[in-house]
Amino acid sequence: MSFGRFVLKRSLQGLGVVWGVVTVVFALRFVTPGSAINAVAPLDADQETRQAIAAELGLDQPLYVQYGQYVSDLLRGDMGFSYIRGQEVAGLVFARLPATVELALAASVVAIVLSIPLGVLSATRRNEPVDYGATLLSLGGISTPNFWLGIMLILVFAVEFDVFNTSGRGVDVGDVALSLIGAEPFVGTLLAWLAYITLPAIALGTYFMALITRLTRSGMLDELSKGYVQAAQAKGLPQTLVRYKHALRNTLIPVITVLGLQLGTLIGGAVITEAVFSWPGLGTLVIESINTRDWPVLQGSLIVIGTSFVFVNVLVDAVYAYLDPQVVND
Amino acid sequence: MVSARVIRNLKTEFRNSALAKIGLVLVVGILVTAAFAPFIAPHDPTEQQLDQSELPPLGFSETTERTTSQMVDGEIQTVTETVEVTPDAAHPLGTDSLGRDMLSRIVYGARTSLVVGVLGTLLAGLVGVPVGLFAGYHRGNVDDVLMRIADVSLAFPSLVLAVALIGLWGRAAVNVPDPFVVAGLAPGMPESFVLPITVVLVVGLVNWVWFARVARGEALSLRGQEYVKASRALGADDTAIIWNHVLPNAITPIIVLGTVQVAAIILLESSLSFLGFSGTTLSWGFDIAQGRDYISSGQWWIASLPGLAIMFSVIGINLLGDWLRDSLDPGIEGEGGAA
Amino acid sequence: MSRGARAAPALRSDDVLSVEDLSTRFFTEEGQVNAVESVSFDLRDNEILGIVGESGSGKSVTALSLIDLVESPGRITEGEIWYRDPDLADEFRADDAVGVDGDHVDLRTVPPRVRRSLRGPSFSTIFQDPMSSFNPSITVGEQIAEAVEVQRRANANPRSTRSRTQGYGLGQYLIDGIVPGRGYTSDESTERAVELLERVGIPDPAERVDEYPGEFSGGMLQRAMIAQALAGEPDVLIADEPTTALDVTIQAQILNLLREVQAERGMSIVLITHDLGVIAEMCDRVCVMYAGEVVERGTLDAVFDDSVHPYTEGLLGSIPDLEDPRPRLQPIEGNVPGLIDAEMDDRCYFADRCPKAMESCLEKPAERVVDADAEHGAKCVLADRPYDPSEALPEDHFGGDAE
Repeated sequence: MSFGRFVLKRSLQGLGVVWGVVTVVFALRFVTPGSAINAVAPLDADQETRQAIAAELGLDQPLYVQYGQYVSDLLRGDMGFSYIRGQEVAGLVFARLPATVELALAASVVAIVLSIPLGVLSATRRNEPVDYGATLLSLGGISTPNFWLGIMLILVFAVEFDVFNTSGRGVDVGDVALSLIGAEPFVGTLLAWLAYITLPAIALGTYFMALITRLTRSGMLDELSKGYVQAAQAKGLPQTLVRYKHALRNTLIPVITVLGLQLGTLIGGAVITEAVFSWPGLGTLVIESINTRDWPVLQGSLIVIGTSFVFVNVLVDAVYAYLDPQVVND
Repeated sequence: MVSARVIRNLKTEFRNSALAKIGLVLVVGILVTAAFAPFIAPHDPTEQQLDQSELPPLGFSETTERTTSQMVDGEIQTVTETVEVTPDAAHPLGTDSLGRDMLSRIVYGARTSLVVGVLGTLLAGLVGVPVGLFAGYHRGNVDDVLMRIADVSLAFPSLVLAVALIGLWGRAAVNVPDPFVVAGLAPGMPESFVLPITVVLVVGLVNWVWFARVARGEALSLRGQEYVKASRALGADDTAIIWNHVLPNAITPIIVLGTVQVAAIILLESSLSFLGFSGTTLSWGFDIAQGRDYISSGQWWIASLPGLAIMFSVIGINLLGDWLRDSLDPGIEGEGGAA
Repeated sequence: MSRGARAAPALRSDDVLSVEDLSTRFFTEEGQVNAVESVSFDLRDNEILGIVGESGSGKSVTALSLIDLVESPGRITEGEIWYRDPDLADEFRADDAVGVDGDHVDLRTVPPRVRRSLRGPSFSTIFQDPMSSFNPSITVGEQIAEAVEVQRRANANPRSTRSRTQGYGLGQYLIDGIVPGRGYTSDESTERAVELLERVGIPDPAERVDEYPGEFSGGMLQRAMIAQALAGEPDVLIADEPTTALDVTIQAQILNLLREVQAERGMSIVLITHDLGVIAEMCDRVCVMYAGEVVERGTLDAVFDDSVHPYTEGLLGSIPDLEDPRPRLQPIEGNVPGLIDAEMDDRCYFADRCPKAMESCLEKPAERVVDADAEHGAKCVLADRPYDPSEALPEDHFGGDAE
């Protein structure tokens, strides 16, 4: 099987999962207490509105018709209407998505850039002070609730030293890109962006940094004890290549699998990190929608979150297949 | 299976690992704290003493601005003065904004965390392990369906799914009488413990899939073993084979996963309480949410101390998990589920 | 500095390698393990030297000691490894810390980076299990090309700067990974890999360079490993059990190939095996190892036909004879001792398994010269005197049966 066919196959499987996600979210209207109308209408809606909604959703129709309607609406990009906010759900959700993606990517960058060198260092200097330090740091990292870490970061860096912003997203990464072509002074915009994103990115990224450090360390120790490492050393290959090209490559293959599985944790972590830093992303939207019982918005958000998860996992599998081409043949 | 070899590995690994010892001490400490909370807590954790509010922990003093209003010549005058708040030995870890004793709240918070963590893990295991064993043992369609359900289930982050379900189902809680207080051994303590039952249900249901995956993997590899084949040839029925042969041999990785899951669910519970999606107000996450509003006015301890409690509990359980993993070597990758 | 203070036989000009009193120990939690104990041997130009012994006798650790790849908790604790390299000798002649004698340099005294720079271009190694000695996720061609590249880069610089210029930093690796068309290996080194694969008899080498180790059979992969070892154009090839993991029919092909390339390149080979049949077929001279020591050594004929040490006799008795398939396998009873320092008595280590153990075996035997012309020596009292049953040790001397 070629790389392209493999990616195509995984994409089709991913579509199947997305279909499952949509079905589960559709089913949510029936686990809501009371009538399915409650899942859409505001609590204080009068009888007339309720009937109008029931008619629009086709609640008087047989189940399969409702389902067909729901899926075909989604395919047209229609996620329903929030009667509470008086807005289209799709517009609302997609307006919030970029902020969450930006936060998740920034956290991943923080996590990956720090963890892999730390894990390698820890494994190659086993039982030296740097290894003990990395072990304790990563143990703390996987054990610390990220919302509390966020609050502590605010306490130290914002309250005590007043270095960073602690609330909102005043400047987004798009502004930084625009400043590159001269709309605004670049350095100033970049610093302003960093002032907003640094603390949330650290709060969200720490768990992953710790997790990847642990996985990299144990994986590297495993790989460095294998015959091919000794053989590579025996043929005189520079240490850098033995460690990074040979051992780290094989270490990262299982690490990537675990990361794909842990992606849900990243998105879940983003929800709560957004709550701490009032970050205007999907996570705050989910919380707001539950607190206001705005089920159409909740359903739309769940579909977007589920679909993003599937999309990134297909991407992860493609990277996996690129790193270890034998996967394609299995 | 728990053989003599397993016990020996556990002992050797424990002797050689300082981290395993620290883990055991932390976990035993938390278990004792949770079980005997009424005797350890110096105060009723829910008792409000407004005249004792916002006291700092021992060793710290705090200057704060107090605004008082008084009638002077028939007019209300507000006076703002800077006062020095000194700690009180009766409240070694200070008090929160309502004058509740922080130490007592942290002690009682251990109960909530541990009970939700253990019950949620048991529920997740009770759902996930049979499903996983059954699917892995039978393969075919059952297995395909399970794996697709697992894929869909994984696509929803635990926290998001839990928040959504609690949002839909409400925040039910049941009052469980505290035997020590009912028996009159610990007067002045709360008579019942509030068990956030929806939270237990939800964390169990969102995490079952990790158990299903591990159990399935074990069953897949065990079904090819000779003794399983032999039992089948002898006409034993499948349930009996799974129960007598597959489960005992799959138990080691399930136990290691269970340990890690307790830690993950404690983190998940604290996140839910922090966001206000819990049925109890006696929880570390809830206190952190309360204390968050006070960090900019100087009362750092209200949010900080419960977080340290979470961190040390989870570190302890993770160290215990590492110890089990290193001595039993079940070869499961990574850690499943988390906040 | 001239050759060490100890009175050692002079180096011969045709010694590529001369190992003197080499000891390697492992410092484990259970205690100190004497894996290699005062081992001495020479390797001459164009010869195949066999090192034979049971598993656990210290053969492989000896091989790793030669290329300085003993992993922690192991360490070379003593000994000299004299390697003939006139350029290296000139480079260090003025250095008091380094042992230099004529064209020979004591590798134990040169800086670690210099030892590292000799791997590949000077010493190549073939390991026992080809499947685990190739990285499963990198193509065979790429891995051979890496070895070619090590040699190419080594030759591109004068000897004296080699150990410094061979470094390849992380920054450079990252840049080579990002910039297209750059990398440690080049098109030329891949082409050379194809030639090498062809030389070792792999069909369709141009296609197979792009295959992964998992797509090769064990025998083909061992050929590829020989190709990789040849890439460095080494003076010394260390072959550690090169045929053990292979089918009998493939074994003969691999041994033929080794002999061919040895003759073609004029290399010297250290062939490590537990199989005396392989030794008999391949080697010029042989060292027999037991419990970390060389117990008998000499030319092949001397050791095989006039063996002195009962251990050597025991090994010879256990060779299956293909022409005479009657059962004559006589495995030596008992096991190689654990080599833990604290449990080793100061005696002949083989005495507990030896059918001819005598009272004088309770003292540690020094090496005796059996036949100076054949360079035949043995660490056994039987080199001086015949076996005397009246002095035999009682059977239960070592606590009953050798368990």
